[in-house]
Parts: sequence; C-alpha cells; structure tokens
Amino acid sequence: MTITRTATRLSLATALLATTGFAAFAEDYTFRVWAGGSGPVDDYRTIAIEMAADILEREAAIRGEELTITIEGRTTFDGWDDFKQAITLASEAGDAPEIVVTSHTDIAPWSQAGIIVPVEDYVNLDAWPLNDIFPNLMGIGSFGGTVWGIPQDSESRPFFFWKEHMRAIGYTDDQIDALPAAVQNGEYTLQNVLEDAVAMQEAGIVEPGYGFYPRVSNGPDYWQFYLSFGGTIEEDGQLVFDRESMQNFYQFFADAVDAGITRQNHIGTPWDQWYAEVASGRAGMWHGGTWHYARYTGREGLDDFFNTIQFTLIPAGDENGAANTITHPLMYLITDQGDEDKHQIAAELVTIASEPRINTLHAIRSAHLSIARSQSDIDLFANDRWASQATERLLPYASAQPNNTDFGAYIDVMWSNLEATWTGRKTAEEAVADAEAELLATLGDAISIR
Amino acid sequence: MTSRQLGFLFLAPATAFIIVLFLAPVLLTAVFAFTNMSTATGITGGAWQVNPGAMRRLALEHEEPQLAEALQVQVFAVDELGLERLIQEGQPEALIREIDAELLGQSFASRREIARALRALENRPRSTREINALASTFERSLVGNRYESEQALFDAIAISGFDLNADQEQAVAEATWTGWNWTTENFQRMVSLPDNRTILLNTVFYVFTTLIIFNTFFALVLAITTHYMPERAAGVFRSMWLLPRVLPPVLYVLMWKWLAWDTGFLSSLLGYFGVAPRNWMLHDAPSAWTVVIMINGVIGASMGMLIFASAIKAIPQPIFYASEVDGASRWQQIRHIILPQLKWPILFITTYQSLSLLTSFQEILLATDGGPGGATEVWALHAYHTALSNYAGNLSYGYGAALALVLVVIGVILSLAYLFFFDFKTLVRPPRIER
Repeated sequence: MTITRTATRLSLATALLATTGFAAFAEDYTFRVWAGGSGPVDDYRTIAIEMAADILEREAAIRGEELTITIEGRTTFDGWDDFKQAITLASEAGDAPEIVVTSHTDIAPWSQAGIIVPVEDYVNLDAWPLNDIFPNLMGIGSFGGTVWGIPQDSESRPFFFWKEHMRAIGYTDDQIDALPAAVQNGEYTLQNVLEDAVAMQEAGIVEPGYGFYPRVSNGPDYWQFYLSFGGTIEEDGQLVFDRESMQNFYQFFADAVDAGITRQNHIGTPWDQWYAEVASGRAGMWHGGTWHYARYTGREGLDDFFNTIQFTLIPAGDENGAANTITHPLMYLITDQGDEDKHQIAAELVTIASEPRINTLHAIRSAHLSIARSQSDIDLFANDRWASQATERLLPYASAQPNNTDFGAYIDVMWSNLEATWTGRKTAEEAVADAEAELLATLGDAISIR
Repeated sequence: MTSRQLGFLFLAPATAFIIVLFLAPVLLTAVFAFTNMSTATGITGGAWQVNPGAMRRLALEHEEPQLAEALQVQVFAVDELGLERLIQEGQPEALIREIDAELLGQSFASRREIARALRALENRPRSTREINALASTFERSLVGNRYESEQALFDAIAISGFDLNADQEQAVAEATWTGWNWTTENFQRMVSLPDNRTILLNTVFYVFTTLIIFNTFFALVLAITTHYMPERAAGVFRSMWLLPRVLPPVLYVLMWKWLAWDTGFLSSLLGYFGVAPRNWMLHDAPSAWTVVIMINGVIGASMGMLIFASAIKAIPQPIFYASEVDGASRWQQIRHIILPQLKWPILFITTYQSLSLLTSFQEILLATDGGPGGATEVWALHAYHTALSNYAGNLSYGYGAALALVLVVIGVILSLAYLFFFDFKTLVRPPRIER
C-alpha cells in the first residue's frame, strides 16, 4: 500500500465491501480509551464511549451482525506532560490506545507523525449529531483543511472574585454585579486587579500572597494574559511573538510578586491545596476554568457559589488588548492502530458519544460547557445555572490556541521565561530577550517576531 | 580450551551487558543528537504530507509561495479518471451511470461537499464508509494525505493536475517530508542559548556541592564516628543512614515535601516561633538548593559511609593499638592513620558519585521539577524535560539527545581528570616486592 488515506486504500476497502456487503459476521473488538487531564468527575470521557459501544452493538444486532465491543478506559495520569509522554511513546512502540481524549493542540504534531487518522474519512459530517456541534469547535478540531478530531467538551477560563472580600474593600453589591460588564468593556483592567489585591492585603482581609492567586502550573490560561496585553499567538498559520505584549504580560506577574499580592514561590503549589484555598475565601482574586465549579461546589464543599464568587472574562491588560478567555476543548482522536475496520468503528463510537444527551452527562457532571446547539434543549443542561450562565458570559468571547506543529516549543519558551520572571531570576526585559533568542534558534522562520 | 579462551568465555556475559546497556544507548544518543527528531517527525521513518507547516517551508525556504498556496486547496473533481476507476473497482453500473449523468464535470471544495452530492444520488451506497471511499476516488488534491513514498506523492501531484518541473518536485518532496533529517543545529542552538549557561552552572554547583559536603565529607564523618562506636550501636546507626537509599524515591521525596511545604512539619513547627509559613522547597533559589542538595546528599552519604567504613575496618588493628600506646589522640589517628589509607576509596567515591550526580535527576524532578523559575534545573533534568516532556505533545528527541550527549562527554573528561589527579597508575602498579 503506497498511499494512505487516499484513493487506493479506500477504493480497495470499497471494492471489498461491495463484494462482501455487510454479510452477517461475528466481530470482537477491544478499544482502549485514554483521557488526559481528567479528574474523578471527568469519568464520562470514557463512560460515554462505553455507552456508545452498547448502542453500536444493538444497531449491529438489528442489522443481523454480531458485534462485540470491549472498552478499556483509563483516566488516571500524572498531569498532561505524563499523559502526552505515554501516548507518544506508546505510539512509537506501535501500542497506542485506539481512542484518545486530548488537547486539540496535539492534532498538528500527531497528524504529521501519523499517530492519528483523520476522523472525517470515517464519519458523515452532515449527519446528526456532528452537524449539531458548534462550527467553531469543529474548526478547532481541524488542521490544514482536514477534520482530525471530534470535540469532546468545551470550556473557558474565567477570572474569579471572592465577593465578600470585594465588599470589604468598598465595592457595593451593584458594582460587583456589574463587574462582568465592566471587565468586558475594558473599564476594569488588570491594573485594577493589582490595586484591589493590594487593598485587600493592606486591610488584612487576605494574607500576604493571597490577593491574586493564579494557576499553579503551566497551561493555556497564561496565554490569556498575553492576549490581554494585545498579543497575537498565530496569524495566517505562522506563530507570532509580540515582544511588547509578552514583556507587559511578564511584567504584570513580576509586579504582582513585587506588590506582595502573589507569592514568589506560588508556582508548584499543590493543586489540592490551591483548590481548598480558593474555594474557602483565602484568596481575593484568581483565575481558573469553568470546570472548577464542579470542584468548588463538590469536593471543596462550597455551598452557595453564586452569592460567594463573581466570575468574569480575563480583564484587559492595557489599551492594546481586550478582555478575553481561552477555550481549550478536548478532542476525541482516533489513532492509527489496527486496520480500517477498527478506525471505522472507533469513529462511529466517538460520533455516538457526541450525541447531546450523552455529552450533557459529561458537561454537567464535570461543569464543562456544551459542544452542540441542542444541548440547551436538554433539561439537565438547561436547568443548570452554571452551564447556561458561563456559556452566555464567556463562550462568545473565547478564542482557542492554534493547531501548529511548532506551538509546543513556543509554549515551553513562554512558560520557562514567565517562571524566571515570576521568581525574580530574570527581569521581564531579560526574559523577553531570552525568549526571543530561544525562539529564533528553535523555530527560525516558523515564528514571526514583532 | 586454553586458559585464554576460557578468559574470553568468562568475559562474554559482561561484554554483552556493556554493549547492550552502555555502548548501545550511548551510540543511539549520539545518532539522535545529530537529527531533528521529535514526536512530529517520528523515530522510525516518515512520509510525505501536505500540511500547513510543510507549505510554509515550501513558500519560505524553497521560495515557491504560489505553488504552496495552490497545493493547499482541497479539490474533489468528478472526472473521467474517477469514473474509470469506479468501473475497475466493479461498482454497480447504475451508480456509475448516475454519477456520470448528474455529477461529471463538477468540482467540490471539501470531502463534506462531495459526500453531500453523492448522498443525493438514488443509487448511492448505503453506508458512510462507502460514500467516503467514493469521494476519495475523486480527490484531486493532496491536502492532509500521507504518502508513504516520494513516487506516490509525485503520482498524486500528477493526478491533481499540477505540472511541476524537476526542481519544484524536489522542493515539494523536501518540504513535505514528515520524518527526521540529519542536522548539527542542535549543537548550535545549545551553544547560543543563554539559559543553557545557567543550567550548566547549576549543574556544576549541584554536583560539586553535594559531592564535597555530603557524598565525601559527611560520609567520612559517618564512617569515622561509627568506627569509634561500639559495634552493635554502629550497625544500627549505619542501617538508619541506609534508609533513604532503600526507600523508593517517590516515597522518600514525598516525605521531604511533608517536611518542607508551607503546610508541612517545618512551617508548623516554626509557626510556634512566629515564623510565617513558607514552602521551603520552592521559596527561593537558596532554599530550593538547600533542600535539593540535602535530598540527594543524604542518599549519597550512605554509600560513602559503607565504603569508607569497610576500608577503615581493613586497617590492621595493631596500628591503632600502637598509636594509642604512643599517646596519639583520636584526631591524630584520623589524620595519620585513617585518612592516608582512604585515598583510593575517596577516589572511587569521588569519581562514581560525581558521574552519578551528573546524570541523576529523579529526586530533583520529584521535588522541585527544576523550580522555582528554573533555579534548580540541572543539565540531566533539562535533557529529560526537552526529550520527554511537552505540554503540546511534541517531544524533542533530537535536541534532548544532544543535551544528553554533552553529559557523556563531560563524564568521560571528568573520569580521566580524576584518574590523573589521584594518580591512578600508582594504584595499579605491582607491589614493590614483585618489581
């Protein structure tokens, strides 16, 4: 076979099918489904595939076929790095799981490596439920004009305020209620965040280092601050490094540390500690993800989220940028394991798992947002205050990280230099100069430096 | 069998181990180091694929922007070639006739569009898979496809109606190659990056501080103090010092975390004295280094203690008795009897432990992961981070291997330097009586 995914292979498959038809046959399939970035409430990432397998088996039985599908789900990994290492090394060894739930940013390198196959070869994009999925999400699953993945969930990353602490520094309830609008139209900026956090600490409302309490590890969240200062991540398929925006973004975190509202040693704080602290009012302001709602109100025991916490877009940094949020939808990707039959069944499984009712189980259980229009017609989704409010307030303004083979290198450089600025090892200016040098040496023409 | 042959036979298992476990990894590291291998390129080979990155290379590096733009357009054209292929495949005549009548000459911008048109046909196949296969028969573009050979790529280009000259074909083949290439850029990049100098200095600081303070000096202190202890107490004491070495690293480092975190033992204890709680492991560079060096040093000290203690035990006891009769103090015994006898064990520990510290990073990975802000990032950890960890799923095997190769070179140089410095020739010289 010389050409993959093109005429020859598929024609052969068609010819074979044309001669054999879908005659009755007994087939046993085992699919391993590995889902990255998953906590205990994200179990529907794999359970949805089990439910889909049940439906697919029943459909086959009605057609007179005997199809047995076994699903082996795995959701426990030690962070994204560990998960991606496991997938890539398993693929090199020819033993990858057949279905993976992972970041859309993996599509670019993994499609080039031949780790994944394009899902559009096996599904009908015009049929329900895929034609019901938001087109922008389908776009995030596409790379180079080909649909490689089916969105598994959607989310966005808000900025949070502890209402009681805001009241304590003089905000009225009306002003707090108006914060989402004030952030959105640029009246409340990151500068205000610094000032309010300082006020909270000076008044002794929160301890030093707890005025602004950011995410404790690398993640898409930090690009939001680059965007807040007017940065561009990618333009026309080419990565962009905007010196001024990057420096202002680094400087913001350096300023937060200098002002004592963020701890110099904040990065690396254990997640469990962080969740417990933000959900109990130890911090004044912080940023996180829409799925945090499930953790705050579940494991952390926060009873009255809406009267306790306000959430908004990430505020603008300066006049060059705007309030924003990043959505980082996970994708169901089909790996190049087994034959075409296996890819076909895997694609059918992820298609069924994307049906609104099944996806809603994941969305509500894990406090993610919807992937399809009709989910808002499902009671479970429509009656959930968080899902509807977060969708309305955040999703229209959400952008996504780019699908670009070289983006991984860019992330590493952005993060290591942010860390260095944060901890005082470099000034923002030095960090940006080092980042620029490293990006030029690593990516060359693949990145445009402005 | 001669004794010489027997000698080779006895050496064979060790030789095999050295080749498989030492030489092969070093050779592979050296090979990887001269490539741009990554997750995206794969390790075992590559293919040819028209993707956005490839087209950017075609436009910028090969100066074919128009061709790059044209190749990125997706086209599905219902043409005679496709119909012929359907006949060859033995597709139903009615379907072919219908496609001929309804769709011949039409062109579609995506698989979705042509599939939509095919589904509108009366004689259409009844499964999504067959419809998609039919659509592929009419694909006249290369976007997203993987071609397993250059010839397959050129055939697809020809079928898609592009007429390329030899130079353009070559440019397309080079730009669309997804596999790895030979390169020396890893080393240029390594030298040019300011962060690498910091990481190198971190490594030198970490290796020698841990080596001198704990692995050698503290190990000596332990060996000598236990030498002067009653036998049973010394045994208990030495066993306790062995605990960090026999504990699994994950558990051992976790205990350090409980000790050092801001909600941990140290902060709680110091809280009674009015010290604000802090994460001693990640507070700042000095505190992180203190913890990292202690974590590694406490493990390393136990090995030196064992080696030195057994070397001290090998010193004939009458020498100690004689010195005591002469009125020598403990310090004089240490200075004039013990230390001179420990020259070779110290050489061994210094050499072995510095090489071991140079390449070991698991405790740092588990404790600070190189933080805060890269302050405790050492070379081996940096190589690991580069080669095996990436947030966007693209591991840089080639550059990571180049970083690891530097460790091999430094290791060899250090070993030679130690052998020279400690006058290894004297150690292996036959005893005077045999000369």
